[in-house]
Amino acid sequence: MYAALFRLLPGPIWLKIIWTLLILAAVVYALFTWVYPWASDTFMDFDPNMGG
Amino acid sequence: MQHARDRKIGVGSIVLGVLGELMITAGLLIGGYILWNVWWDSNQSAAVAEKSVADFQGELEPAPRQAAEIKTEGDPPPVTQAISGDTFGILIVPKWYGITNNAMPLKEGTTPAVLDQAAAGHYENTAMPGEIGNFSVAGHRRSHGNSFRRIDLLEKGDQVIVETKDTWYIYEVTGHEIVLPNQVEVIAPVPGKPNEQPTERMMTMTTCHSVTMGEWGNDHRWVTHSKFVGWMDRADGMPEQVLNDPEVK
Repeated sequence: MYAALFRLLPGPIWLKIIWTLLILAAVVYALFTWVYPWASDTFMDFDPNMGG
Repeated sequence: MQHARDRKIGVGSIVLGVLGELMITAGLLIGGYILWNVWWDSNQSAAVAEKSVADFQGELEPAPRQAAEIKTEGDPPPVTQAISGDTFGILIVPKWYGITNNAMPLKEGTTPAVLDQAAAGHYENTAMPGEIGNFSVAGHRRSHGNSFRRIDLLEKGDQVIVETKDTWYIYEVTGHEIVLPNQVEVIAPVPGKPNEQPTERMMTMTTCHSVTMGEWGNDHRWVTHSKFVGWMDRADGMPEQVLNDPEVK
C-alpha cells in the first residue's frame, strides 16, 4: 500500500523522499492539533472528580 | 530486481500486505497518541498553568523572603468566594519540589475546562481555604499537566500550602484512602460522614487512580485528607517550606 503510494509521488527519488517527509509532517501536525485532542475528549476518561 | 516484479502476486498476499500495513499504522497512531498525551499535551497544559501562576503572582506584592510566624489562635482571614474559572490562589506541595510541578493555580470549579489547564480545581459548594468544613480540590493524575501525579508520595505530616493574595494557609496531611468514584462522602464537610456538622478545618485532594494500572487508570479515586494547622500573613514573609523551594527566587 505504502509502496504503491510512494510510486505515485511525482519526480525523481530525492523529490519523492522530500514529498514523503512533508506529508508525514502534515499528518503528525493534524494528529497533534485536531485528532488527538478530539480522541482524548471523546474516548478517554480522565475526570478526577468525585461522583464523575 | 526486475524479475521479482514480473512474478505473479496473488490477491491473498496483497490483502495480507495491506492488512499488515494498516496494523502497523494503527500501532503508530496509538503510540503517537500516548506520546501526545504524556508529553505534548502535558507540556501545553503545564505552560498554561505556569502562566496562570505568574499572572496571579504578578498582581501581588512579593512576600518578604523570610520565614513568617505561623498563627493558630482565632479564625484565619476568610477567602472571598471566587467566580467559576477564576484563579484565587496557588496550591503548593513542598514534598514535590524537584519531582514534579509543585505550585499550581487554584481555580474555582472542577469542570474539564478548569482542570485541563493543569490547575487544582476547587469543588464548588465546599469550604474555602481555612474555613471550617472540607476545602476540597480535584486535579489530574496522568494527563493534562499531571497536576496531582505524585499524590502517592504524600505522607502523614507533609504540608500542603494554599497561597492567596494576602495569606498562606497551611495544612498537614492526615492520611489517604482509595475509593470508588461515586463515594462523594470523602468531600463532605466532615470527610466520610456526610450527615455531621463540621467543627474542624479540613482539606481533601482527589485525583484518578486505578487499583490495577496505578496512575494510568481511572477506575478509582486517590483521596488525600489534610488538616488545617495555621496561617501566615504574606506581609510577614513566607512559610519555611516555600523558602526552601529552589524555584522561589
